Order: sequence, then structure tokens, then C-alpha cells
Amino acid sequence: MKKRTKSVLVSYLVSGPSLLLIALIVVFPIAYTFFISLTNMSVYHWFDFTVIGLDNYWRALFVFDSGFLSALLATVLWTAVNMLIQLAAAFLLASALNIKKLRLRKLYKTLLMFPWAMPGYVSILLWKTGVFNSEFGLLNQWMEALGREAVRWLSTDVSAFICCTVVNLWLALPFMIMIMDGALQSIDSSYFESAILDGAGWLKRTRYITIPSIKPIIAPAVIITVFTTFKQFDVVYLLTQQMGARTGSNFHTILTYAYENAFVTNNYGYSSAISIIIFALMLVFSIRFRLGGEGET
Amino acid sequence: MKKLLSLLMAAMLLLSLAACGGQETDAGSIVIWHDKEDAVAEVLQNYLSEALPEYTITLEKKTSLTDSLKLVGNDPAGAPDMFIFAHDKIGLFAEMGILAPIEELLSEGELENYLPMTTEAATYKGTVYQLPLYFETLLFMYNSKYMTPEMVPETTEELYAYMEANTGRDRFGFVEQHSTAYYSAAWIHGFGGEIISADGTPFPDAQAVKDALEYHLKFVQLMPGETEYSTVNTLFLEGKADSTIGGPWMVPSAREAGIELGIAPMPVVDATGEPLAPYSGVQGVHVLTHAAESKGEAVRAVLEALTAPEVGVELALASGCAPARAECYDDEAVANDELVQSMRTTAEIAIPMPNLPEMDVMWTVMSNLLTDVNLSGRGVDESFDEAMAEAENLIANMK
Amino acid sequence: MRKKAREKLGLGALNIFFIALCFVTLIPILYALSVSFSGTNSLLSSDFSFIPEDFTLENYIAVFTGEDIMTWFGNSILLAAATVCISLAVSVPAAYCFSRRRFPGRRLVLRWLVLLNSFPAILSMFAVYRLLQPLGLVNHRLGLIIVYTGTMAVFSLWNMKGYFDTIPVDIEEAARMDGATDLQVVTRIVMPLAKPSVVVTALMVLIYVWNEYIYATTFMTGERNYTLAAGLYALQATEMSGSWPVFAAASIIVSLPVLIIFFLCQKHMTSGLTAGGVKG
Repeated sequence: MKKRTKSVLVSYLVSGPSLLLIALIVVFPIAYTFFISLTNMSVYHWFDFTVIGLDNYWRALFVFDSGFLSALLATVLWTAVNMLIQLAAAFLLASALNIKKLRLRKLYKTLLMFPWAMPGYVSILLWKTGVFNSEFGLLNQWMEALGREAVRWLSTDVSAFICCTVVNLWLALPFMIMIMDGALQSIDSSYFESAILDGAGWLKRTRYITIPSIKPIIAPAVIITVFTTFKQFDVVYLLTQQMGARTGSNFHTILTYAYENAFVTNNYGYSSAISIIIFALMLVFSIRFRLGGEGET
Repeated sequence: MKKLLSLLMAAMLLLSLAACGGQETDAGSIVIWHDKEDAVAEVLQNYLSEALPEYTITLEKKTSLTDSLKLVGNDPAGAPDMFIFAHDKIGLFAEMGILAPIEELLSEGELENYLPMTTEAATYKGTVYQLPLYFETLLFMYNSKYMTPEMVPETTEELYAYMEANTGRDRFGFVEQHSTAYYSAAWIHGFGGEIISADGTPFPDAQAVKDALEYHLKFVQLMPGETEYSTVNTLFLEGKADSTIGGPWMVPSAREAGIELGIAPMPVVDATGEPLAPYSGVQGVHVLTHAAESKGEAVRAVLEALTAPEVGVELALASGCAPARAECYDDEAVANDELVQSMRTTAEIAIPMPNLPEMDVMWTVMSNLLTDVNLSGRGVDESFDEAMAEAENLIANMK
Repeated sequence: MRKKAREKLGLGALNIFFIALCFVTLIPILYALSVSFSGTNSLLSSDFSFIPEDFTLENYIAVFTGEDIMTWFGNSILLAAATVCISLAVSVPAAYCFSRRRFPGRRLVLRWLVLLNSFPAILSMFAVYRLLQPLGLVNHRLGLIIVYTGTMAVFSLWNMKGYFDTIPVDIEEAARMDGATDLQVVTRIVMPLAKPSVVVTALMVLIYVWNEYIYATTFMTGERNYTLAAGLYALQATEMSGSWPVFAAASIIVSLPVLIIFFLCQKHMTSGLTAGGVKG
């Protein structure tokens, strides 16, 4: 009994510093936001705010109008599309990079990592002005060279969605390729050899050996990426919705929608309530898709 | 072993960091945040260091200054002592309770030496919260290589005719940041409309706003699809746009790019007989309450130094700022500066940006409305009703 | 013979595919590269070519001599190094513990950590400020380090725990039978085997810190305290003074250290699991 208590104590002591940091930077802000959501803190009550109970939640329900619902749907679609393409592309590319006789693999890998090495806003700015700009962008310069009309790439919902997806994939793929690559290399090659001897084709090997073996290794990264994609703000906001540089599309994720419809009010109680509701929605989604339980044995 | 080593390293790093960071507040040092061009900051920094050698005054450039202020509030450890910004956020920060009334920190009657427009702009609910330094307005600028002075349009219809005749492949007769609230306000004012009234009602004259948007649309169709600064700026600087409406900050780069820059009065709207009236912004120094309380003496000294007419003159000469202090215009160099003079003329028709807290959300509402009408191609009435609802909703949710 | 020829053809096709892919991926970067070498001041130009017209190194010289970029560079390195060290120092033991030991609360913590981590970081800014302010850590590098380490802690813990799980316990037990202590097992056997995962985690933390700008610009005041990413953001945000070629040159310079580190780390990222496992 005593030994067991000691062992538990040691476990918590060893993981303590990490858990403490998580408590401070991850858990505390959520608790604090929840606290603020119960107060009337705003520009008008900056110092003298008081707890007012659930009023803010009551008001926040009015934000969940049709605009919010369509933003929510768009966000789900956005997450699904991005994750599917990302996983498939990363898997195929990482597999190709692992073909034994590919000599220049290291060079390719490094070059493919480039998008990841740049701060996000720099890349998004480069895409926006360098590629999609309707006057100067490369796309329209090429369209012109082909004798076609210039297109306003970011001004309609569908094409803005596609453009954002392209940029998001460009930003996120390097990480996914790296994770996949590492996972693929951890598979014991003897499994493959015996499978080849048994006459299993590439598809069969992928299905029965590769995917089951890499699944536990990539699961954490994939789950975290799902959340990152779901709460993506920068790509959509900077590309299409930035104040003073909007492009005319109405494609919103829940975060950009909430930003425009609540956070700009500087009413901290009210915005906090909305943050908490969005967070609750994310929890519901992740429990529905059992994201939290995966990787747990 | 390796782990131990890395732990040790980490501990050492932490220690060294703790030693080199940190800050203490002392009554003789004043930190001023700003987000201005380097030329402006340099003039102010040099002037203050010279005029007040007994104090340590630091101008620190802060990106997204207003967002940061909303975060640090009035906390002496995180907040600056003063900051330089346009007057349109005064209401917001005054309601937050972080701005000190400026009049009590100046010698009596000092503000009477300023152009009335600037002190009015700095007043919120009867109290002045800003010592004005200079003001700026948008100006009608043209490239006289393509648009000769006699071709400069006097009315909006003339402008439209010019645009029709001179817009084509890779070439624009006129460009502006058409779907940005700050720029389109000029058109709305030209039709007698307002984005927000003095008592905080959004779009008090709905019809005027709708008319302006409807009329403006045909101009937008002859402009590029982008509304952001870099596109408009580049088109004008590359000589691909003959004219533009832009701020004084465009002037140095235009001169550098070798543009034969001309500045003209704003065109008059044919339908109303009123000129396009842009917003004017008064840039000035704000004092945070904590500094006014704990560093009163230093704050007074800085403010007093900044009231000297030389500051305005130097700013005007360094980067074409129009001084807020009336006597600066007695200076011959300032009086002869074309840019400063045109801003002063435009300021007569310009409307100071509203400084109500509600204006903070109206920027977003207006920008949505403009995007809907100009870029998404939706009907003016429908978009306007939506914007009105959004405005009322956001304003209600501020409290 | 025919098989060999086919293989060669396939390999050639693969190489061509990757070269094409790299080119497509790099288009925005080649764009920046071309702008950074160009003498005319435009990111936007209606007749763009990947080879700059009037080639010049001036923009790079401007980067290294002009702004405080070297100071920012130093700040970035200091912050990145400290964050990576602390991150690993706290996460490796925790991840190992969560992978190997069984204790009450373990499942609960694991399950909830990833869920809690889904709270958008931009929404926590205000709370984090309120947390650091009384500690005097606003406008202090240590504050940023804590924020960065905490933000990446869940990922580090999870990612390495996942990898530790795949390392067979038998190997460790065999070592213990030979009389190795717990610490020895971890440093001599587990760490070398888990190297790819540790390197990936470190790289992830490094890149996050290197590219983070929101906290860095909001919590730090004064240009001399900026990191590279924050400084670049400030350069870009003040549109009135922006010089595109200098900005492009600076953004290329920001990316290079990360790429070099990545290139150098690659050989450590191949798994030691199978090879090491057999030998050990």
C-alpha cells in the first residue's frame, strides 16, 4: 500500500512541471475566460465589473443566428476537406519519399519543409499579394498570358474557400509529411518482407500493415491538427476578411465570424461567453468523434 | 547525463534571463508608445531629448497599439505613460477610464493656441483628452505626367468621364481604397450622410448613405478588385493610375518614385454640389491616468515641451504634417509647403472622425457594408438594412 | 534486365515528380526571392519574372545593417533555445511517465489535455496577460518562454508519449535484468530509441517559437526586445514605410536558420527503433 502511494507520488512529481505549465497556460485561461463570461466587464466597466451571472450567455444566444450556423457548417466542411486531403497527400508523399532508391530524398524533404519555416503571416501575405491579387498576382498574369480574363480569386465564397484550402494545405502539409515520414520509418521492415513473400500487393500491405502500424504514432499529431484546422483564424482572416483589405467573400469560420460579431465590441463578458460556447461546441464535436480517446491504450 | 546537462543549461538560461529582464518605474522616465512613421518619431524623440535632458523619454513603436492598450489598460508595469495616436479612440479609452484629462496638465488657456478643429476633435463629453500635434486628411493626388493640371476634374462626373476615357488594360484613371470605411466616408459626406451621428446613432440619414453607395458603385467598377493599401499605392507609384485619393504618408514614397505629384481640391459631387469630404484625423499625445498621478511633474514637462511651436514646424518640414498649433503657420517654410497648405484647405471641408466609443464597431460595420455592395455585388438596400441591424446589434452588445 | 530498366524509368519519373512538386511548392517563396533581389521597390508588379531584372544584394545588406534585425535574431535564438530546452526537460519525463507508469488520474488527464488544448490561443491572450502581469513577467522574456512552453506542452507530451508507447517494454526489462537503474534505462535505451520523436518535438517547438508573433508583439514593448517574427510583423504592419524588397529579403533570412537546422536534423529523425532494437 505504502509502496503504491509512493509510486503515484513519483509519477506526479516527474510529470509535475509539465502539468503545472499546462495548468497555467492552457487550463487557467479557460477558467478565467469562464469567470469573465459571468461578469459585465466591458469598455464601460473596465475596472468596476461585477458578476452578473448567466446574462451574457442569454445574450450570446442571439449571435447564433443563421450566419453563425452557416459559419459552423462551413467550419466543419473546411476541417473535413482539409484533413482528408492533408492525410492522403502526406501519406502518399511520405511513402514516395521512403522509396529506397530515391537518392535526393534529403534535399526534397528540406525543400518541401520551406513553407513551414516561414512565419505564417508572411506566407499568407505572399500568397495574397503574389499569387491571388487580381491586378498583379501570378495567377492572373498567367491567365492573361493564356489569353483569358482576369479573375477575382478571393471574391466569391467557393473560390475563396478553395484558395484558403490551398494556402492552408501549403502551410500544414510539411508538418504532416514529417510526422508520416517518421512514423513510416518506425515500421519494422521485416513485416513487409514477409508480406511480400506472401504475395501481398501494395494496397494490401498499406491496409493491413502500414496503416495499423503508423496509426498510434501519428494519432496525437493528427488530433491536434484537426483542432488547429477547426480553429483556423489566420488563413481565412488574413486572406479574405482583414479589415481594410476584405475581398468580398462571405466564407467565415466560426472564429472569424465570432471575431466580427462579438469580439469587436470590446465587451469582454459577452465575448468570453461566446468563446466558452464555441469551446463547448468543439468539445461536443470531439467527443462525438471520439478524438480525445484515441491513442489511449 | 545528457538530461542532467540540459536541465542545468535550462536553469542557467532562466537565471540569466531573469537577471537581464525586468524593469522598474521611476518618476524621471517617460515611455511614449506610438505607431507613426520613423520620420515623425525621430523628430519628436530628438526634440524631447534635447529639450528635457533631465528626463529619460523613450518613444517606443508599438504595432497594434490600440489592441495592446486594451490589454494593459492602466497598469503601471505594462502600460506606457503616454501614447501618440489619432483622436478617434478617445471615447473608447476615456470610457475605459485610462485617459487623464489633458487641460489640467497644461498651463491655463494653452489650448486656445490650437486650431479649434483639433481641440474639438480631442474633446469627448466636454473634456479634452489629447494634446494635438498635427492633423491629416486625405487628398486628391494626381500624376501630372498623365493628368495635366488643366485636366484635373472639378466634379465627380468629370472624374468619371476621365476614368472612362483612361481606364483600360493595366491602366486606371483613378484608384482609391474603395471598400475601406476611412476612404468611402468622403463619398458619404459628399451626399450629406454620416456613418454615426454625434449622439451615437448609426447612419442618421439612411437615404444619403444609400445614394452615396449607389453612386459610388460606378466608380468602383472602373477600379481594381482589391481595396487594400498596397495595391492602390503600387498602382499609383508605378504610374499605372493617373490619380488617387490618399493620405499625406503617400507623398514621400511618391516623390521617391519620381512621380510628378500634383495635389488638387476634392471633386464636387454633381448631385449635391458638396465636395467629397474626407475624415480628418488629429494625431496627438494622450496621458494615462497612472502616469498623471505618479509622474505628474515629468508628464507636465513633456506636454509643455510639446506645445512649443518648433515641434509643429519641424514635423511639418520633416514629413509634411499639418501642425495643430495655429502659430506654426506663421513660419514661412510651413506656409509655403504645398502639402501642408493643401491639407489645411481640405481640413476646412473635412469632418473630424467621430471619437465616440461606438465608432470602434462602426469601422467593421461600414467595411462589411462596402464589401457587400462593391465586391460581392449585392443590392444597396438589402445590404444597408443588414448593416443597420448589425450596427444596432454591435452597439447594444458593447454595454 | 527488363525489370531493372523499368525500375530506372520509375525512379526517373519519381524524381521528375518531386522536382515539379518542389517547384510548385516553392512558387510563393521564389516570388519572394526574386523580389528580394530586385532593385525596384515592388512586391506587386504587373510584369513579374522569377529572375529579377536589375539584380542587387542591396536589400540583404539593408537587412543586416539597417533595422535592429541582428538584435531580433539574437532574441529569437535565445528564446528558441531556452524554450526548446525547457520544453524537453519537462516533457520527456512526463511523457515517459504517462507512457510507462499507471497511476490514478492518468487516463483522465490524458483524455482532457487534448480537449482543453483545443481552446483557441487567441482567446486566451487576455487571461494569460492577467496571469503574467502580477508576476511581473509582462515585457519580460521569461514570460514569453513560459507562454511558449505551456502552449507546446500538450503537443510535446502527447507526441512523445505516443512514440514511447511503441517501444517494446521487453527491451527495457532486459536492461533492468542486467542491473541498469531507472535513469540508465531512460538515458541509455529509451532516449536513443525515441530520438526521432524527440527531435520532431524539439523541431516543432523551435518552429513555433521562431514564427510566433502575436504574443511577442503584444507582450514585449520596444523594438530591441522583438523576435525576428515580431519585428518583421511590425515592419509589415506599418504600411506607410514598408519597403517590399527589404521585407522579402528579411523573410527569406528568417526561414533559412530553420531550414538549415531541419536539414542537419534529418539523419537523427530516422528511427532508431528497429536498428537499435536489434543491436541492443
